[in-house]
Amino acid sequence: MRAKLWGTRGSVPSPGPETIRYGGNTSCVGVTLSDGSLLALDAGTGIRNLGLALPEEPSRLHILLTHLHLDHIQGLVFFAPCFRPQTEIVIWGPASPEASLRDRIARYISAPLSPIEVRELPCDVSFRSTPESEWEIGPARVRAASVSHRGPTLGYRIDDGPESLAYIPDHEPALGADLETLEDEWISGFGLAAGASLLIHDGQYADAEYPDHLGWGHSSTSHALSFARRTGAGRTVLFHHDPLHTDAQLDRLGEEARKQWAAAGGEPGAIELGVEGAELHVAAAAPGAVAAA
Amino acid sequence: MPTSTQKPLELILARNLMSALSTPAFLVDEGGLLVFYNEAAGMLLGKPWEELGTVGAEEWGALFGPFDDAGEPIPYDTLPLVKAVRDDRPAHAEFEIRSTDGEGHRVEVSAFPIQTPHGSRGAIAVFWPAAGDAAGGTSA
Repeated sequence: MRAKLWGTRGSVPSPGPETIRYGGNTSCVGVTLSDGSLLALDAGTGIRNLGLALPEEPSRLHILLTHLHLDHIQGLVFFAPCFRPQTEIVIWGPASPEASLRDRIARYISAPLSPIEVRELPCDVSFRSTPESEWEIGPARVRAASVSHRGPTLGYRIDDGPESLAYIPDHEPALGADLETLEDEWISGFGLAAGASLLIHDGQYADAEYPDHLGWGHSSTSHALSFARRTGAGRTVLFHHDPLHTDAQLDRLGEEARKQWAAAGGEPGAIELGVEGAELHVAAAAPGAVAAA
Repeated sequence: MPTSTQKPLELILARNLMSALSTPAFLVDEGGLLVFYNEAAGMLLGKPWEELGTVGAEEWGALFGPFDDAGEPIPYDTLPLVKAVRDDRPAHAEFEIRSTDGEGHRVEVSAFPIQTPHGSRGAIAVFWPAAGDAAGGTSA
C-alpha cells in the first residue's frame, strides 16, 4: 500500500511563498492498494492535482470523506474524473439523521455555490453512508468510526494484507479527557489507530495555541503525540496544518514534536510533518515500518 | 483490523461532558451496564467511580438501591436508566438511594437515551436532590 499526500493543510487553502514546502492545498491523501486500485481520502483542494495525475481510461475509484466541512470537499467539483463519463466514483461519508449523504454534499455542489449540480456530473457517481462494520474495497478491508470533532466526523482505517493505515485528520481526542490516564476504550479513535503501520493525524495547533482553540475540533502537538503513543502506531504523520503556519513555523513545530517524542521515549524517526507531494510506502505493521518511498 | 474494543464516540463524549459537570450523572451502555458516573455522583454515593468500575444490575442494587417509600428495593427494570435504554424513551422517577455509609438520599432522576445514526448506544441519567432532601439525606 502506498499513500501520497496531495493536500496537507486544514481549514482553508493557503497558497503562497510562505507555505510552498509544506503546501497550501487542503486535505487529500491518495492511497494505492496492493492491486493497484485507488482510494482518495477526503476531497479538499488537493484532490484537484490527484485527478490531473490520473489516466483518462475507464476506471472505478472510491472517495472516503471524513466529514463535509469545506476543506474536505471543496475539491470535488474540480476533480477531473468527475467529468469523465467512463469513470465510476463511489463517495463514502458519515451518516446523518438529517439528510442523505448525497443531499448534504449537494448543498455545496449546487447553485449559487457551484456552477454545476450533482445530477449534471458526467461520471457515474454514487453516495454511500459508511456502514458500522468493516467492508471491502478491492484487497483492502476498510473501517470507519466516529471521532471527536465538530459535527458528524469519521476516521478511517485501511488494512491491506499486513499493512495498515489510519487516517484521522480532524480530531480532538483530548477534549475533556486526559489522554495520559484514560483507559484505551474511552479514547476517541483508539480502535482505528491501534497498532497501525502509519497514522495520519491532526496536528493543527502548537501547544501554546491550543488553549485559544479548545473545542474547535483539532489537536495540539502534545495531544497528537500522546494519541500516537497510546495507540502504538508505527509512524505518525502530523497533518491538517493550520493555514496561518508558515513553512518556517512548521519546521519549528516539527522540531518540537520530535523533541517531545524523544523525551517520551519514542522511536526515532517515527514522527514527521505531512508535506504536500510526499509519497509514503506503508510497510507491514511494526514500529518504524513506514519508509519514504 | 484492530481487535481492541472501543466505546462508541457518543458514550465517550457523554463521559467527557459528565466529567465536567457538578450535577451527579450516570452513564449506561446499550446493554444496560453502568459504565461511568461522575465525581458529583461519586460524592453522593460515597464511592468514586475509579473504585467501583463497571457494574451490572445486581451489584448496583446491592450497593446503592434504590428503594421505594417503604424502604423496599425497586426492581431494576423499572429504573429510569433501564427504561431509557430498553424503551428508547426518556424516563423520570423519584426514589431513595443509599450511599456506602448507609445514609439515604431522596433523589429525582431523569434519564434519556443516547441515539445515533446507527441506533441507541446507551443512556444518561441525571440525579437531583428531591424536594426536602436538598440539605442532605436520611439515616437508613
